[in-house]
Amino acid sequence: MENSYSASEEKIIQDLFPQKFNRKGILWVIGLSLVCLIGLFAYYRQLRYGLVVTAMRDYASWGIYISNFVFFVAISLVGSLITAVFRLAHVEWSTPLTRISEMIAVAAILFASIIIIVDMGSPERFYNLFLYGRVQSPIIWDVIVISTYFVISILLLYYPLLPDIKILLQFKEKNGSRLNKFYSFIGSFWKGTKEQNRLSRNALHVLSVTIIPVAFCIHTVTSWLFATTYRPGWDSTNFGAYFISGAFLVGAGSVIVAMYILRNAYSLEHYITRGHFEKMGRIVVLLALLYLYFNVNEYLVPAFKMKKSEDAHLTGLFAGEFAPLFWFAILVGMILPILILIFRRGRRPLPAFIAGIMVVIGAWFKRYLIVTPTLLHPFLPMHNVPENYRHYFPTWEEWSIAIASLAGCMLVITILCRIFPIVPIQETLTEHHHQAILTEQNHEIAK
Amino acid sequence: MNQENSSRREFLLTGLLAAGAVAGCSSKKNAFEAGADSDIIATGKKVKLLSVDGDIIEVDEAYLKPVPELPPVSNSEARVGIDGKKFVMVIDLSRCKNLRKCQEACNHMHHVNPGQNWVKVYPMQDAEHTAPYWQPTTCMHCDEPPCVKVCPVDATFKRKDGIVLIDSDRCIGCRFCMAACPYSTRVFNWSAPDIPEEIAKQPYSCESSVPQKKGTVGKCDFCPDMTRRGELPHCVSACPNGTFFFGDMNEDTVTNGSDTFRFSDLIKDKAGYRLMEDLGTKPSVYYLPPVSRNFPYESGLENETKDKS
Amino acid sequence: MRSLNRNIAFLASFVFFFSSLVVFAQDSTKNSLNITLSFYNENNKIPYLGVKVKSKIDGKFKQISSIPLALYLDADSTANLIGKVVTDDNGQAVASIPPSLKGKWSPFTKHDFIAVFDGDKKYEATKADVSIVRAKISIDTSSDKKVLATVYELQDTNWVPLKGVDVGFTIRRMDAYLNINETPTFSTDSTGQASADFKRDNIPGDLKGNIVLVAKVDDNDKYGNLTAEKIVPWGSKFVAENNFDKRTLFATRNKAPIWLLILAYSIALSVWGTLLILIVNLIKIKKLGIQQSSTH
Repeated sequence: MENSYSASEEKIIQDLFPQKFNRKGILWVIGLSLVCLIGLFAYYRQLRYGLVVTAMRDYASWGIYISNFVFFVAISLVGSLITAVFRLAHVEWSTPLTRISEMIAVAAILFASIIIIVDMGSPERFYNLFLYGRVQSPIIWDVIVISTYFVISILLLYYPLLPDIKILLQFKEKNGSRLNKFYSFIGSFWKGTKEQNRLSRNALHVLSVTIIPVAFCIHTVTSWLFATTYRPGWDSTNFGAYFISGAFLVGAGSVIVAMYILRNAYSLEHYITRGHFEKMGRIVVLLALLYLYFNVNEYLVPAFKMKKSEDAHLTGLFAGEFAPLFWFAILVGMILPILILIFRRGRRPLPAFIAGIMVVIGAWFKRYLIVTPTLLHPFLPMHNVPENYRHYFPTWEEWSIAIASLAGCMLVITILCRIFPIVPIQETLTEHHHQAILTEQNHEIAK
Repeated sequence: MNQENSSRREFLLTGLLAAGAVAGCSSKKNAFEAGADSDIIATGKKVKLLSVDGDIIEVDEAYLKPVPELPPVSNSEARVGIDGKKFVMVIDLSRCKNLRKCQEACNHMHHVNPGQNWVKVYPMQDAEHTAPYWQPTTCMHCDEPPCVKVCPVDATFKRKDGIVLIDSDRCIGCRFCMAACPYSTRVFNWSAPDIPEEIAKQPYSCESSVPQKKGTVGKCDFCPDMTRRGELPHCVSACPNGTFFFGDMNEDTVTNGSDTFRFSDLIKDKAGYRLMEDLGTKPSVYYLPPVSRNFPYESGLENETKDKS
Repeated sequence: MRSLNRNIAFLASFVFFFSSLVVFAQDSTKNSLNITLSFYNENNKIPYLGVKVKSKIDGKFKQISSIPLALYLDADSTANLIGKVVTDDNGQAVASIPPSLKGKWSPFTKHDFIAVFDGDKKYEATKADVSIVRAKISIDTSSDKKVLATVYELQDTNWVPLKGVDVGFTIRRMDAYLNINETPTFSTDSTGQASADFKRDNIPGDLKGNIVLVAKVDDNDKYGNLTAEKIVPWGSKFVAENNFDKRTLFATRNKAPIWLLILAYSIALSVWGTLLILIVNLIKIKKLGIQQSSTH
């Protein structure tokens, strides 16, 4: 590890031990809960009156629920990026970020599945998916792959937690009885024996290999929900790769945001260091360039041909109804973060954090632009329909539910941060140990 | 089998009150035989009636009804469809003047939620200097339906007779089919549809698509309930200009109620085509180009204003 | 042009105004019913009577269902009652002549059919009648694919050939009658005969290639509707072609394509197999831990 922060093991454990919420934390939790409650109320109204409370109509038949779904699925891919890809590539500096990214992944995939149920017109028939599921439908592929990814993410969160649980259980007085019970329930069997360590290490390796294709599947299949139709803007062979590159970008951006917030909230400056921002910043630049590249492919090629069916859709994006949002998403979601993070000064925590927020917000609107404008440009003209069928602007119910799902996701992450160490304790200790041995050896060589 | 034959002979002899009704979908061996009303099952109850010659004849009761009383079609039967049929529609664009009687009749008979339409009439103009025309659309009942491909729960399905239907008791309301349909045929019941309570209380029938239910998808169903009774779909019989022709591809015949054509001849003579052929959906609805029109395009504009409200 | 349009619009609004007045006037009293009677003789066996009931509501004719009608032969007395019917959803009903009227039916060549509606809350009482002369039609075919039809009229007790009646030659289809050639109808000659050439080669028939030929006299003012049928093997054999039972992407869940099933199941099984191993692995770790603590 590059940070040469030398501290005693006790200090490290104390620093990384899950902390009770301070006043800010309590306000944060209450705030998020309130937003969730408003969302629940809006959902109650939707259940009662039907999807008519949304602004979706026969043409714009999918709206921000679906774009939110795509957004969540995209974010959840970060788990596979940071944990699996980096682990396999032996990127050691990423260790403190693995837990955060896995927490984000679990929360995001959870809310992806919740929001897709919210979008259903008859959610009480959800079980039909299991009774009558047809393997020909990309939705069933999505159901299978999302539940698979959820289980993998949980496992990937759980396996590395086991050694930490052992440490947590050593400080029973700090935890309170309920947490102690919970910790014992999920991990009292971990003794840290050689054999246990070996099994765990192997399992993590297998998981890291498995999660990558599954993560690719989950987002590719999500992109196929669109790409398997004929519609202009969706009918693209580029879509799987386009979605995955975008997902890695927003995932990396959200990790930077989480890093910054948690670092400040829990004073983790010695563990999540400037170096991390520096490196994550570089990665975001790389990913943003990659996503930009796919965007050029996705828009320039059809725009060059301007097929009749694509024309209205593309001009709507470039210079029409959706142009402000479109250029906002391109500029704020990709170009500005690149411009900020390409400079060393831009990769300091605060600017990197701002760039991360830009990436996340840009990405959210980008998903909206993928879903809705296409639906508002059907092959046959919109004719003889009520005026509100021709446009789409979400209602307060939709906004509240969508925002509540985001708040819910953050709430889950917050609670996970309260229960589990944000930075893996055992792994930090091990690396600290290695470091110490290394320095000692260096000293000896120097002598 | 013997008995079946004899009852059929008797049937032919005793007069064809039940003529025209399509065979039901029970799996009789000779369902495709000429004059195939063979599915009418003799009740054994004889009725005495007068013949043309003034003689008294005994007839089985079952043959006396103009429309034989077929048992209500079960869900599993409705999912298979009518054996040996392949329904087809021909829309003659030269006859349409945007009267929308088709739409009216369809909405009325299917209790479509007000404001939504299953039959739509589009003012079309393919390019700046080409002629405008009115184009009614129904569900295309594609032979390779993209909507059915994507349905996660078999709620929409393709039948033997070519019809694509929706089971509103199973639909989960994911609206993937709506996104998949390139013809914008499908509509969604965003709220509980505004229909009379006694209709809403009925059990849902896939073949009549009634009653529509909140949170499910609806669309044109080619009226198989009417076809089973030997009648034409509502839009076909409602059009005063005879724009819609309907029939069975396996009989190579289409009719709009007053004119009947051999389908293959009609398509050949008038150069019929299908919409968006390049997508490979293989629709069951054919169009005849708007040449030698019965009405000028402008005459249809009168009806445009009435629903601007 | 524009001013003309405006004038028309002006006139139209006037017409609309007055017609709506008329509708209001009708609403305050009762609507009148329009009853149409038709006589059918199909295949010369059981003749029957068809009734259609319509009413003009809001300027449009609508079929009226659930209208009770009494049908009579020749005179509206109970002795002449053919039957009582109620119209269906399409405003239609049919009735055959009961044996009890044999004495009144058989001796006469000409008959009146009378429909009587007694009136109810919504509609005024009304009556309709139609008179027909008893006639029949026969159908035959010749080997050179010619279809022949002969029409007879009942005179006293003899069936006499009838000249100058329009006969249509058709093939019975699902919900229509397709003419056997381009000409819609043929007039009968002095022998009561008309003929037409069959020009629908290869028209699909049933499994054996059989089709039903129908010679018909439609809506004749004097004779009503007459039809005669004959089955001939002039069609092409029906071949059931259908991809309903094939494994396709648009088939039902039981008929998913094999390649898709192999692909989907192999992916799902291999991934879930791995996950299962990892979960078993966890249980192993747990067991090891419990052993450890019990040995201590």
